[in-house]
Amino acid sequence: MRRRTRIARRASAARTGWITRLAGVPRPGGVARPARLAAVLGLALGLIGLAAPAASAAASASAAGSAAGSAAAPAGTHLGWLRLAHLSPNTPAVDVYLYSFGDPSAMIVLKHVTYGTVSGYQAVPSGEYTVAMRGAGAPAGSKPVLSTTVNVVAGKAYTVAGMGPASGLRLQILKDALVTPPGKALVRIIQASLQEHKVTVTAAGKTLARGLPFAAVTAYQAVSPGTWNVHVAGPTESADQRIALAAGTIHTLVVLDDPGRLTIDNLMDAAGSRLLPAGAAATGLGGTAAVPGSSPLPWLVTLAAGLLVSCAGVTLLRRSRAGRA
Amino acid sequence: MPWRPRRRLPRPVSRRPVSRRSVSRRSAVAVLACGLLAIATGACGLIIARHTGRAAVPVGRPTLIPVPRGDAAPVPRPSDGEAVARPASLIIPAIGVRTSLVRLGLTSSGALQVPASTAVAGWYTFSPRPGAIGSSVIAGHIDSLTGPGIFFRLRLMRPGERVYVRRTDGSLAVFRVTARHMYLKADFPTMAVYGPVPTPQLRLITCGGTFDPATGHYLSNVIVFATLIR
Repeated sequence: MRRRTRIARRASAARTGWITRLAGVPRPGGVARPARLAAVLGLALGLIGLAAPAASAAASASAAGSAAGSAAAPAGTHLGWLRLAHLSPNTPAVDVYLYSFGDPSAMIVLKHVTYGTVSGYQAVPSGEYTVAMRGAGAPAGSKPVLSTTVNVVAGKAYTVAGMGPASGLRLQILKDALVTPPGKALVRIIQASLQEHKVTVTAAGKTLARGLPFAAVTAYQAVSPGTWNVHVAGPTESADQRIALAAGTIHTLVVLDDPGRLTIDNLMDAAGSRLLPAGAAATGLGGTAAVPGSSPLPWLVTLAAGLLVSCAGVTLLRRSRAGRA
Repeated sequence: MPWRPRRRLPRPVSRRPVSRRSVSRRSAVAVLACGLLAIATGACGLIIARHTGRAAVPVGRPTLIPVPRGDAAPVPRPSDGEAVARPASLIIPAIGVRTSLVRLGLTSSGALQVPASTAVAGWYTFSPRPGAIGSSVIAGHIDSLTGPGIFFRLRLMRPGERVYVRRTDGSLAVFRVTARHMYLKADFPTMAVYGPVPTPQLRLITCGGTFDPATGHYLSNVIVFATLIR
């Protein structure tokens, strides 16, 4: 009988070997069964205890992961903006060519551009560009009258303007603003009148330019939004124009010679919302959203632990029976 | 009877007292009972867990919307200012959207007002008019409490697709989608959406990402960026 007990115990030890291995306990012989049992129970309880926080941690980690993935790159692309202007009063009409730097074929050709003409903005990939001016109708391959290079940075806007008198014509690169102070409009003045060599511009109760010489450009200035009477005064002539300057908009006012008088051209450089809403938009009520169920993980772990503990129980039961027999 | 202290090791295996075996049996039954209880609990939990929660409503196929016809208003020149008419309706054939546009302002807390109905989109009246220079903003719901809203499929839009805005004078502004992004509401890109831009552009806004039942809000916004082509 003693012998049989020993054999039975050895057999059961072999069966429970995987449990003890799981529990990290040495095979029987060295350690008593109570220790093994305690280890198995401890493991099972430990698993149950760990399951809930581990499951919730895993869920929140995956949520955080998807959230981080959704915060993608900003909307800005690799594009910048470029516009071309002819602001030299006594220079005849020109053809304006825009080349990507080093590429001999023109990206854009503006034909017969006359004084006072400003093109719309063209979205172009960031990089170096060459702007060339030729007399209107001159062959595309002829030597340009004037050329300059401009480096377009992504997300920035530029005006390339032919400025000055015909004798001293130059291509000037102006950096155009794309951000306004909150609740303000931005305005700058380009003085392109040759008749009135110096002009003073007032609007919105402030002087935007005082004695601005021909072919000069002011910096942008913040102006309170509203519809303002813009007054331009030269030594001999003056002009008035009502101009709406909304918050969040950026303007360039060009003082031009009209035959015999001054005029003001109001260019809209950029426009955004007059009021910036705070935060995000609440545009969903959830009727189509997935509603997460409670995670099955804790229950699975409970089930597994129960199986483990039951196995241990069955083993102990058999052993005790064997011992009694 | 309690376990003997382990200090008594090593002990002769053959001379274990009989009482130990009876303890083993009782505790074995107890352990087995515990195990079976845990199995039953786990199984019940699994069944309950399976029946909570709900899958997202599939996007399905959009209704067919014909491409609108009509004269495109000329692209405004830099000096035109706000010389375009107000927007009246929005047509996006790619995702089956055809809706009138309501007017949206700001809520008392300064956030973007959203349409009272989830079946229409709205134009934010403090943004430039669609087709005028600047970034015009149109918002609509992804869903109501019970089903899809007007911008349910906005998240499916791809660069190159067309967005049409019919204006009150009957003219049409045609936009080409350049990008679609999803942003956490906590990181909403206010300047990219509402800030000044030098060309006529459009932003379409709706919700997306994970829905938080606790707050009743989605955690993200889906924003489609488009630029005027004619």
